[in-house]
Amino acid sequence: MTIEAFIEKFSFAIEVEPSTLGADTDFKALDIWDSLNTLSIIAMADADFNVALSGQDVESSRTVGDLWQIVKAKSKSP
Amino acid sequence: MKALSGVAVRAVAAAVPTDVARTQDYEYLNPEERLRFQKATGIASRHIVRDGQCASDLCIAAAEQTFEYLDWSRESVGALVLITQTGDQPVPATAIVIQQKLGLPQNCVAFDVNLGCSSYPYGLAIVGSMMQSLGINRALLLIGDVSSRVCAKHDKSSWPLFGDAGSATALELDEHATPIQLDLMSDGSGKDAIIIPGGGLASKRPPPLQGTVQMEASADGTLRRPDNLILRGADIFSFAISKVPPSIRRTMEASGRTPNEIDFLVLHQANKMINDTIAKKTGFTPEKTLTTLAEYGNTSSASIPLTISAHAHCFDIERRVLVCGFGVGLSWGAAALIIPAHTVLPVTETDNVY
Repeated sequence: MTIEAFIEKFSFAIEVEPSTLGADTDFKALDIWDSLNTLSIIAMADADFNVALSGQDVESSRTVGDLWQIVKAKSKSP
Repeated sequence: MKALSGVAVRAVAAAVPTDVARTQDYEYLNPEERLRFQKATGIASRHIVRDGQCASDLCIAAAEQTFEYLDWSRESVGALVLITQTGDQPVPATAIVIQQKLGLPQNCVAFDVNLGCSSYPYGLAIVGSMMQSLGINRALLLIGDVSSRVCAKHDKSSWPLFGDAGSATALELDEHATPIQLDLMSDGSGKDAIIIPGGGLASKRPPPLQGTVQMEASADGTLRRPDNLILRGADIFSFAISKVPPSIRRTMEASGRTPNEIDFLVLHQANKMINDTIAKKTGFTPEKTLTTLAEYGNTSSASIPLTISAHAHCFDIERRVLVCGFGVGLSWGAAALIIPAHTVLPVTETDNVY
């Protein structure tokens, strides 16, 4: 799985155009960001990457790329 | 895998207060946020107690329904267990007060259990195994919470989710009953995911708060009293979608049934996103997954019996159900059981205070 694919899934989850997001997007600063989006992202990581993200994982990430690093790390661990 | 044999469900009843709080009227969200909240959680309204009505009152109303329906003599009830996290007072146990209010005999075992969303499978295990081991022929399992009394009204992360409800499940020893398969789990490392931090003795160490109770800002910036409930939705979501499906799968495996051979999946009514994800991951269609989120919201411990009761019309024949509760603790569990025909009573609405 690539970061491009992750960005696309991320954008679908929070219902924005994929072209509006990049690895360095500060996602919590987006106008549309709210706590329900956190749930959408956790659901996406579970469904598309089989990774259990915690609320803290999303909270501690600033950019989409930061979160991708966590998803990548978690998908490698058993 | 744990199994409980020789215990049958005789009646399931539930009660809610009459007052309704609608998501579309919630003043701390703007109209757009209300729509978004309703779409994601599936919660359009909740029933909320008026001042003075307690979880015990709602449970007593449900219990009275079961007595009326079953024609059981009160003297014949040997145990009453109340599962709640919003009891009438810290001491004594509310179940003992209910024993007197329901006119149950003094040789009736009565005590409270402190569990929330996982109450139904735990309650069946606790009461059923006690009936078996002590030879108690008939028992009442009462489960209810008035979460509206412990959430701050301006707390957008908790107030618009919770509804109030009480329930009663009448159980009887029956050597012909199909065994109930149980999967019961705990993880205290998640205690902060849903917590009322104040009011207990740990919160009074060092010495107690003096003077009036002050609101304090939590990590999420919301002002709460120390005895208000804090819910960390993202952590609960993450826990629920990762830990709950395996519990359901283990229970199905133990009972030797696939989703096709189970009539209904009855999940704790957390929110639509969580419940849809769990149902999908475990292979249950929306038609088989009973829900009451739209009308009653998240009714905490009472959500499973309330949801069964709200679908009384589906239980005019014997049904094989899988129930699964999960949340505060963290505590979660599932049970595969038979609900015999004509044992489910419709939801009653009441403002009675006993």
